[in-house]
Amino acid sequence: MSHRIYLLPPWLRIWHWTNATLMIVLAVTGASLHFADPGLHLVPFSLAAKIHDIAGVALLVAYGFFVLANIVTGNWWQYVPKPPGVLARCWKQIVFYGWGIFWGAPHPYPPTEEANFNALQAIVYWVIMYVVVPVVILTGVVFLFPDLAPAKIFGLDGLLPVAMLHYLAGAAVILFMLAHIYLGTTGVRPTSLFKMMITGWHEE
Amino acid sequence: MRPASKSLFAAFAMLATAPGAATAADVKGAAPTDPALIEKIRKSNAECYVCHTEAGLKNPPRADMNLAELAKFLHDPKQFDGSNHTGMECKVCHGQGYVAFPHAPEAKKSISECGECHATKALRVETQFKDSVHAKNLADRFTCQTCHDPHVYKVAAKVGDPRKIVAQDNAMCVDCHNSDLRYGAISAALPTKKVRPDLYATHDWLPNPRLHWSAVRCIECHTPMSPVKSLATSHEILAKDKAEKACVTCHSQDSVLATRLYRFAATNVGSDLGFANASVLGSAYVVGATRHPLIDRAVIGLFGLTVLGLLGHGAVRIVMAFFRRRRAS
Ligand code: HEC
Ligand code: HEC
Ligand code: HEC
Ligand code: HEC
Ligand code: HEC
Ligand code: HEC
Ligand code: HEC
Ligand code: HEM
Repeated sequence: MSHRIYLLPPWLRIWHWTNATLMIVLAVTGASLHFADPGLHLVPFSLAAKIHDIAGVALLVAYGFFVLANIVTGNWWQYVPKPPGVLARCWKQIVFYGWGIFWGAPHPYPPTEEANFNALQAIVYWVIMYVVVPVVILTGVVFLFPDLAPAKIFGLDGLLPVAMLHYLAGAAVILFMLAHIYLGTTGVRPTSLFKMMITGWHEE
Repeated sequence: MRPASKSLFAAFAMLATAPGAATAADVKGAAPTDPALIEKIRKSNAECYVCHTEAGLKNPPRADMNLAELAKFLHDPKQFDGSNHTGMECKVCHGQGYVAFPHAPEAKKSISECGECHATKALRVETQFKDSVHAKNLADRFTCQTCHDPHVYKVAAKVGDPRKIVAQDNAMCVDCHNSDLRYGAISAALPTKKVRPDLYATHDWLPNPRLHWSAVRCIECHTPMSPVKSLATSHEILAKDKAEKACVTCHSQDSVLATRLYRFAATNVGSDLGFANASVLGSAYVVGATRHPLIDRAVIGLFGLTVLGLLGHGAVRIVMAFFRRRRAS
């Protein structure tokens, strides 16, 4: 149990926790805005709007940093699933989560310095970080400046599709986050992956 | 009263009070439908327009007029034709004193008051206005015309498009509350001198007041719901500490927007698609109000299933690990 590899540079860890905090704040305030109701004990609308706007802009900045740093350091390559056999490896990973993990089977693709993510992780992270999150951010920016939205679409206000995308993509990010946090407990010990995200060292 | 006659009476009362129920012919000076009469009125009004339009000012029909004075009293026939009083003859309200030029010195005194033709409505409005903040110190300075230009104003029920209603109705308030000139003139009558409060500063608790004021009316927050059915809006402008400050009054599924500003809005595909407050969706997306109950239920359901699924997975892992450890030892 003493094999350790150093996987995560400081910038990535700092970004990760900043991003995580902002996402949770955005999820809570976003839900308070969307489900606003005098009878529900949510964050008060006015406060939620204020916090959501600030956290939203902060997330935009953090995302810009993430993309730039990924380009500069070459870390973006980690998110590209490497053929051949991507689907087969994904399937093996799914079978592990659905079956092997209960029987104490070893992780089929433990992280290495060259390949930090398994194929399933790479695909899901890629879709979330490079498709869904940009949709949330772009629609959020339009929400901040509603004049950017088309005036009318099919006789309805042009902000409707923007708001719908923002809401649904936001919901997708939250669902991902739930699964992501849970899978964080599947290291050698339930806490070891969280520790890795703080120290940068992976334990096996 | 026997039930039958009671309901008959009720039906009658409804006919008499429902907005728009009074037929045009009920009100003095109502626009006729007879083409010959329409043409007669058009010609009669054209006599006033000879002088009282931009064109009249450029080509004055006589040399002995004070053009600087005339320039203050120009009217746009198109605007008048789009108002409540379209089709009416100028003389019906203005009397005979303006037919000849120079106008009779006392002509102004005989211009008809709103109440001369709209007795019931005007009475109700006056009752509400008596309790308005404007009546407290300035009752004799405020007339119906202070807010309603009878040549331009069109009642919300007939404007239809909520954005246009907002623009028209807010202009009534903003033209004074944003003008040092008008506000200064009317507030000079106050017992103590009052500095005009800056509208943007007093509403800085509201995010993006400009956006809000293009989408909702001042009266949405500053008046109570109309207590009489025959009037869509109340004229009782409340003191500022009673004004609406709660965002969820509009930003929630039970938004007052649907029953106030949007009560006359056209229906649209939004209601077929199942949106809450669909009438609002025709011209604004209002966070918290214009949402879809089914999609919301699906999202909450998915969230619940995910949490349950993950907790279940975790529980099985814990139980299996427990048995594995027992077997190993
Ligand atoms: C000489 C009579 C007369 C006077 C004075 C008059 N109106 Fe009218 N008004 C009419 C007529 C006629 C109509 C059109 C018929 C109708 O829709 O009731 C009308 C229509 C209206 C309507 C639309 C009613 C509706 O429910 O569609 C409003 C609002 C209105 N007037 C307000 C005013 C105001 C405010 C004043 C005073 C500044 C005023 N009127 C003065 C005759 C008058
Ligand atoms: C020949 C030009 C001319 C015609 C026609 C004319 N006016 Fe005027 N009107 C004026 C001028 C100029 C003034 C500016 C004040 C003045 O010099 O008396 C004026 C002023 C007015 C005023 C404002 C008076 C005040 O002191 O507030 C009203 C109201 C008015 N006119 C109504 C009418 C009506 C209604 C008609 C049609 C029946 C009409 N006028 C036809 C030239 C005309
Ligand atoms: C429903 C009644 C009504 C009708 C119809 C009407 N007026 Fe007036 N008009 C008024 C009232 C009331 C005033 C006084 C407004 C004030 O005191 O500020 C007025 C004022 C005016 C003024 C002087 C004030 C100004 O701002 O210009 C002119 C000019 C005028 N009217 C022209 C006309 C003309 C031209 C027509 C016909 C096309 C017409 N009016 C039709 C009620 C009416
Ligand atoms: C402080 C400004 C103000 C004053 C003063 C005022 N009104 Fe209004 N009035 C409004 C506004 C704003 C509306 C809402 C616009 C609408 O519904 O078209 C309105 C609406 C109305 C309506 C239409 C109500 C309905 O059925 O929906 C009538 C009629 C009316 N006013 C008559 C009057 C009369 C008569 C007076 C004078 C006794 C008067 N108003 C004074 C601002 C004012
Ligand atoms: C012609 C000018 C004028 C118009 C038009 C006008 N107001 Fe006012 N308003 C005033 C003045 C002057 C005061 C101060 C009155 C006082 O202190 O007694 C005032 C006071 C107020 C207040 C403050 C009350 C308080 O508690 O301090 C509110 C709210 C208000 N107006 C709303 C409106 C709305 C809404 C409209 C349009 C429907 C409107 N006003 C139209 C001149 C105007
Ligand atoms: C979203 C609700 C809302 C809307 C829309 C709104 N107001 Fe207000 N307004 C308020 C509240 C609440 C206050 C009291 C603010 C305070 O005391 O902190 C207020 C205060 C005021 C005051 C009193 C300012 C003072 O300090 O004396 C005036 C005047 C006023 N509003 C006019 C308007 C006018 C004109 C419009 C339309 C352009 C408008 N309001 C739109 C909610 C609103
Ligand atoms: C009288 C009704 C009303 C009240 C009260 C109200 N709003 Fe609004 N709000 C609206 C409407 C209508 C819109 C839509 C504006 C548009 O799209 O043109 C809106 C839009 C917004 C938006 C813009 C969303 C976007 O498009 O980016 C925000 C943020 C907002 N409101 C926050 C608030 C807050 C915070 C409060 C309370 C302090 C509040 N509102 C009170 C009616 C209201
Ligand atoms: C995980 C990320 C996010 C989630 C879960 C989220 C969620 C939400 C939700 C549910 C709403 C209510 C929308 C409605 O009812 O239709 C909302 C509104 C809004 N969002 Fe987001 N959002 C996120 C990120 C962002 C970002 C990055 C921005 C800005 C760049 C942003 C800007 C806004 C704005 C401007 C509004 C309108 C209300 C307001 O002005 O506060 N959001 N968000």
